[in-house]
Amino acid sequence: MWPILSPSSAVRNAARAGVLAALLLPPPSHAATRPHYGGVLHVEMRESIETLDPPQSGHRMSALTGPYAISHWEGGHRAIYEADENAPGGRPFLDSVDILMGRPLRDQSNDLELGKTDLVELGPNELRRQPAARKLWSSAPVRILALVFGPRVEDARIREALALAVDRAAIHNVLLQRQGEISGALLPQWLSGYAFLFAPTTDVARARALVAASPASARAFTLGVDDSTARPAADIAERIALNARDAGLIVTVAPLGARADVRLVEVRVASSDPGRALATLALVLGLAEPPTVDTPEALYAAERALLEGFRVIPLFHLPDVYGASTRVKGAPGITPLGEWRFENLWVEGGKP
Amino acid sequence: MIAAVKQWPAVFSALLFFIPPLVSAAEDCNAAVRELARKTAAFTGRGASVSVAWRNVSSLSPSEFGQAGAAFAAALADSGLRVDDVAPVGELRVTLSETPAQYLLVEEARKGDERQVFMAAWKRTGPASVPAPGVTLDKKLLWEQDEAILDIAFPAAAMLVLSPSRVALYARQDGQWAERQAVALKPPRPWPRDLRGHLRVTGAAFRAFLPGLECNGAVDPSLTLECRAGDGPWVLESGSRALLLANFTPARNYFDGRVTTQTGLRKTVPPFYSAASVEEQGRPLWVLAMVDGRTRIFDASFDAAGALPDWGSDIAGTDARCGAGYQVLATRPGDGTEPDALQAFAVANRTATPLARPVDFPGPVTALWPSAGASVLAVARDLATGKYVAYLVTVVCGS
Repeated sequence: MWPILSPSSAVRNAARAGVLAALLLPPPSHAATRPHYGGVLHVEMRESIETLDPPQSGHRMSALTGPYAISHWEGGHRAIYEADENAPGGRPFLDSVDILMGRPLRDQSNDLELGKTDLVELGPNELRRQPAARKLWSSAPVRILALVFGPRVEDARIREALALAVDRAAIHNVLLQRQGEISGALLPQWLSGYAFLFAPTTDVARARALVAASPASARAFTLGVDDSTARPAADIAERIALNARDAGLIVTVAPLGARADVRLVEVRVASSDPGRALATLALVLGLAEPPTVDTPEALYAAERALLEGFRVIPLFHLPDVYGASTRVKGAPGITPLGEWRFENLWVEGGKP
Repeated sequence: MIAAVKQWPAVFSALLFFIPPLVSAAEDCNAAVRELARKTAAFTGRGASVSVAWRNVSSLSPSEFGQAGAAFAAALADSGLRVDDVAPVGELRVTLSETPAQYLLVEEARKGDERQVFMAAWKRTGPASVPAPGVTLDKKLLWEQDEAILDIAFPAAAMLVLSPSRVALYARQDGQWAERQAVALKPPRPWPRDLRGHLRVTGAAFRAFLPGLECNGAVDPSLTLECRAGDGPWVLESGSRALLLANFTPARNYFDGRVTTQTGLRKTVPPFYSAASVEEQGRPLWVLAMVDGRTRIFDASFDAAGALPDWGSDIAGTDARCGAGYQVLATRPGDGTEPDALQAFAVANRTATPLARPVDFPGPVTALWPSAGASVLAVARDLATGKYVAYLVTVVCGS
């Protein structure tokens, strides 16, 4: 907001007239409606990307290509993108984007606090510690946390028992700090409009009954989890193992590299077209390819068919959450799908 | 009729959610409820009684939700069904939901042990923007379009709209502006991301100033436009009182600082976004919104003569003299992601005095140019619809 000038401030301003007075003014705020050209956006991310070529470069960095061109690459550690003068839609406002990879979430949050970087990822724990004034960007819930069974767990009753045993509400409240949504659907509600039809239920008594009806040899299995990239995932896996024990199952948590009977995985919604998104999810999760559909009812039927048999148990839909420094303007710089869109960002202090 | 998307700034909806809806989506809510009622009747059988439980998980308002419910009840009756909560043959649980592309009615129908899910969808549309009147600033809606509006000018009884892709000529027809002609613009290189452009009309002739492009045209007898690559100075007016020639940086969104005054004086000042002229004891002063974020005053020799508190990057001078000195309109500081506002300032004794209340806009002001007399043209990008909306803002003394 502008200052509403009081008579005294008017006097002060009159006294400021002249070149010297102009030089004595406080540093400019750079707060203007029109974007500034110049400057570097410093970004930190948890993921370490070794290869620049898509799809290995991921959904975020690959979105920078076009407005920016890579000018420096240290696989797994650092990437610098420079503005392309002839970019479609015009040259980006930023001169460059400097990305530091492999930074743990806690370190990212500290760096943001200390003014060492402009944009960081925030996990549930870090989100809780952010000051109230922190500028936050959140995508739609595009990350799907799900349990995926391998072929060794043949008994559908065991799979259903695990689905019924997981206490999603407790995990959501405590480990995820209520981030995202509890869901039993593959496609999130915002994308399909009907995800509530797959509302998950926790029914330990029924889970126990299903386990009791199954052969004892089928009741023990390993749960694989990749705890290097998704810190809360390991805790969630441990909690699922505890829930499973209540139902009479013996679940051992193991690193993802080990041979696991069921895996806790995180997959992304890759398209804002629900039909295409479902097909991609099915592919990534190793499910049968759903038919091409043209009505919401047919889409629902296709998704329901994919979930029948409990080969995949969706648990949560989570957003990407970023914290940005106050000098970043023109935000948000992510799409609802979590892709980076830095071409319309600018930073205070950028030199034209 | 349909509310804005609440979960996402509508700019996202406009730019990123251009997804084709599932092809079966109906045109409107009425068509969707009719479709759903037909499916229901086929499931329960005509003449059956049904109970209906409703819930809304969409961003539609309670009144719109109520309208949908009433329309569905009517459609059920048209399909030969009776709504009756006592011993119904069918039990319907209808949820009004949404996706980025459409609104969705999800019906969970139950008849005895038989269960079925039916859905019907209709396409989303954006809300219309409603301008609000000002107090000392009179804001009048001029034009709205999907493409950016760089400037609008008014040659005799016509309206010229300068957009990134074209110059369009409109004429009054039945009280509305109707397009008569348009000429495409062919930039010699990709336009800058924050494209700016300016129109200057002299009788039936006009000039269009664009980064790296110089265009001359006429509106009579028909719209003509000739453009060539060039970096000649733009003519910046301040009301009808003062002119300044300023060179625009071709690939950027600001003037490079080389200026020529009406007296022929050439000077170079730091880069700036916009300029407005005021007067002090009969001598002209220029106020410039600088790229470094400051607002500076320059005297007639274009020597620095003071500074003003931070304004936004767009300012425009007018001929209005409501108090001491001429009135300058300025946007407010922001980062282009929030609704903007214009405020009138009187600049006297190298001090800016705000006049009354600012007028609000539905998004950031993307263009601000002097128009005739006490008016300026202000273009805002509506954050709810993603559309560009042009207003004529007039300083009204005594309001």
